[in-house]
Amino acid sequence: MEHRWAMAIDLDRCTGCEACVAACHAENNLPLSTPAEAAKGRAAHWIRVDRYWEGEFPDVKLKYMPVLCQHCDDAPCEPVCPVYATYHNPEGLNVQVYNRCVGTRYCGNNCPYSVRFFNWFEPRWEAPLDLQLNPDVAVRMGGVMEKCTFCIQRIQRVKRDAKEEGRRPQDGEVQPACAQSCPAEAITFGDLNDPESRVSRQASAGRARRLLEELGTKPKVFYLQRVTQALPAK
Amino acid sequence: MSLLDRRDFFQILTTGGAGLATGACGRPGEQLIPLLVSDREIVSGEEQWHPAACGGCPAGCGVIARLMEGERVIERDQEKLRQRIACIKKLEGNPLDPVSGGRLCALGQAQLQGLYNPDRLAGPLRRTGPKGRAELAPMSWEEALLVAAEKLTRARQKDPASILFVTAAGPGSRAMTIARFLQALGAPPAASFEIADFPLERRAAELVLGWSAAPVYDLAEARYVLGVGADFLGGWLSPVYYARQYGHFRQGRPGIRGRVVQAESRFSLTAASADEWLPLQPGTEVWLLAALGRLLLEGRSQALPPPVAAVFQGVDVDRAAQACGVDANRLRRVAQELGASEAPLVIAGASAVHTNSLDALVAAGYLNLLLGSVGRPGGVLAPAVEPPAMRPAFTNFLERLERAQFVFLDGANPAYTLPASSGIHEKLAKVETLVSFSPYVDDSAAYADLVLPDHHPLEGAAALLPAVAAAPSVLVATPFVEPLHDTRATEQVLAELAKQVAAPFQPVTPRAAAQAVVPPDQPWEEITRRGGWWADPSPPSPPGRRPPLPPRAAAFEVSRPLFAGSEAEYPLHFQPYLSLQYLDGRGANLPWMQELPDPASSAMWGLPVEIDTKTAARLGIRTGDLVRVVSPHGSLEAPAYVHPAAMPGVLSMAIGEGHRHYGRYASGRGANPIRILAPVWEKSTGALVLGATRVRLERLGPRAGLIQFSPNDREHGPWAHR
Repeated sequence: MEHRWAMAIDLDRCTGCEACVAACHAENNLPLSTPAEAAKGRAAHWIRVDRYWEGEFPDVKLKYMPVLCQHCDDAPCEPVCPVYATYHNPEGLNVQVYNRCVGTRYCGNNCPYSVRFFNWFEPRWEAPLDLQLNPDVAVRMGGVMEKCTFCIQRIQRVKRDAKEEGRRPQDGEVQPACAQSCPAEAITFGDLNDPESRVSRQASAGRARRLLEELGTKPKVFYLQRVTQALPAK
Repeated sequence: MSLLDRRDFFQILTTGGAGLATGACGRPGEQLIPLLVSDREIVSGEEQWHPAACGGCPAGCGVIARLMEGERVIERDQEKLRQRIACIKKLEGNPLDPVSGGRLCALGQAQLQGLYNPDRLAGPLRRTGPKGRAELAPMSWEEALLVAAEKLTRARQKDPASILFVTAAGPGSRAMTIARFLQALGAPPAASFEIADFPLERRAAELVLGWSAAPVYDLAEARYVLGVGADFLGGWLSPVYYARQYGHFRQGRPGIRGRVVQAESRFSLTAASADEWLPLQPGTEVWLLAALGRLLLEGRSQALPPPVAAVFQGVDVDRAAQACGVDANRLRRVAQELGASEAPLVIAGASAVHTNSLDALVAAGYLNLLLGSVGRPGGVLAPAVEPPAMRPAFTNFLERLERAQFVFLDGANPAYTLPASSGIHEKLAKVETLVSFSPYVDDSAAYADLVLPDHHPLEGAAALLPAVAAAPSVLVATPFVEPLHDTRATEQVLAELAKQVAAPFQPVTPRAAAQAVVPPDQPWEEITRRGGWWADPSPPSPPGRRPPLPPRAAAFEVSRPLFAGSEAEYPLHFQPYLSLQYLDGRGANLPWMQELPDPASSAMWGLPVEIDTKTAARLGIRTGDLVRVVSPHGSLEAPAYVHPAAMPGVLSMAIGEGHRHYGRYASGRGANPIRILAPVWEKSTGALVLGATRVRLERLGPRAGLIQFSPNDREHGPWAHR
């Protein structure tokens, strides 16, 4: 395996501003919801910012946590697909083949992170909103599942450019849309096969945890825990 | 007018070194192209990156736009034709710009949906029905300009002072053009009256330190930050700039993690990120700051002008703490921590304006002086000097509106951003001629006699100054896509109008405006290629040195805020606030913003009233119930969100929904909290006081159509899901 793509999200930097959410919509042609569809829970966000409330007023805390497909090494969504529409690619990405998907939604049912979205309808963009659609990303048809791809189109582009120039992709060269937009620079993306990459160093740092790690899914998104320090900074 | 003429108007400049950009934006400085790309010249499958200016809010972030081929269907001679055009696929922050630094917020990302909004106007409109009803019919530009010129001539002959120009333009070429146009007509200067303009922050900086623009807070290098009333990570001066600084402040320095204490009467995005939140009774920011000043005065009083030190000296700390609703010991601890920090910083703002907000901001300025934080790394830095006459004056124009005969509206939407009790709707309806330059039919354009749609900011040319800049800088945008519709730049329309009314006038070009900031030896081609010019930030003074200008002795008093409505009849405070998604309402026509879950309530396609748990329990209100908020000046109905961190007795509601007219995604959706406010204005600036209205709450029914992305708060206990 040449690369093993992974992400680290520093929750001590994250402000919950959701720039990542909007950037993902812009990059990945996410279907637009309507109020009626959203009310039925059919709005799709490949990355969302979960909020966790702790305590009661006045000692109340709110912790934000961006959650996207965790690209698990032992992904529960993969073995349940009857048509192999969701599979593990050689670089460790959990990939969805849209035109193979028959819409059983078993994968969504089996995902403990609730990051898979089903297209209940054909997506629709009122003209001329469709002019914005990214030609690098397929528009998904009604009846198929979709989810975060780690912006695979950006990975491919960097690999192609690096190959043309006869070099390896540099650390930090691949930036998924969410990471690129994040104002607080909370999101790092890179190659776990490179022990010197920023993401490798963050993944092995003391603050790194993985979401629902006890399920044994081996996620490739590492969360650097928010620091709750007792002593003030001098 | 042909496209070629339009291009001539913009005086598009070419650069010798421009070529097709390839690859992603890894080396954008070398790849940016400031040229207009004709639809005939776009190459299938190729991408180009162009510098542009984000028009989403007044922060002034530089962006880069990814341009590729697209296809649209047009109708010509009753036949549908496919047309290849160059269109923008994505916006990113411009890495060369010190404000955005290559990053961009959600509202900035969504500006593309403003450009390609299905409700954008395809050409000029004239009113055909009663004012305010948005009954409008298309007309030609020639006809529209003739009508406008005729009415403008009449108003000018009768009394040039009856011409009123209301603009939302920040400091830059647009504001300078408008000023010059009004001068040519002999009319009074333009008025700016935006909620997101923050005039109080500028006024306080001027009063205390003699600075003409908002102070720059060096958050990245600070160690201990006390935020007071400024939601600097959410709805404040420059959210992307301060979020970038915040990331560095927390985890960008090996071995150092900055600490934030946020004092605010709403649990804002900043309060949620802070290490500690001090819930303040609304409008008591000045009490908190004065008490801290009193506690920190010992041994430091020589930093202040004697009359100011005397004000701090006279503060009773226990009484002040009681007024704020903060435990006095906690307050003493914060003072001690601030005083002991190597790089303390007080970031004060008026995200929710109160009648006494200026006093609070002035007190905060003096507190920073007491701490020795002014002019040193990790402290308050002097803003770049703003050239005179670039910024339209912040003015409460309501009195002038009553006497106005001819009104121009540029980017401003007063029918939405002013309370109904101010009489704005009646006043707009009475204006003889109202001309709006809005690219959409918004709440105010609904009153217009003529709508002469401007280009979208991504199609236009501009030079503008960022809201926060420690060093001289200017953002420059040159057009790189052909206008999608038959719109005209407002500068061009003003030139044509001036010509017809025989007033000597030439618009201020972005180049001319930028010259006020940029040294003469800087090549313009390079500036347009980079998307602006930014001077190296001058190194701040070393620690311990006094600020370059001696502080002024500004009068401030530790006073109680004033509220409209009796406490007996209206027991609750009401705080509308600038929302993450829509800012002051302008983002509501962008579907991505409508479906962006609210950071606290997770609400989509609508905004709830945020109610504290005690009030909700007392009135039997649960999340999702329909409630009515009644003020002395009106009422609104909206779904309830029982907010775990709302202060008892304080209702909050984000601004953004409740447009009467603003396209298919926003019209008739939700409620506008500004609408029910009392007409209370801050006395030094005339700004609308957002937090001065008391309300009462009524439960109407069990279901109100609250749509949430994550309906239930995911954890109620400690954060131990792993």
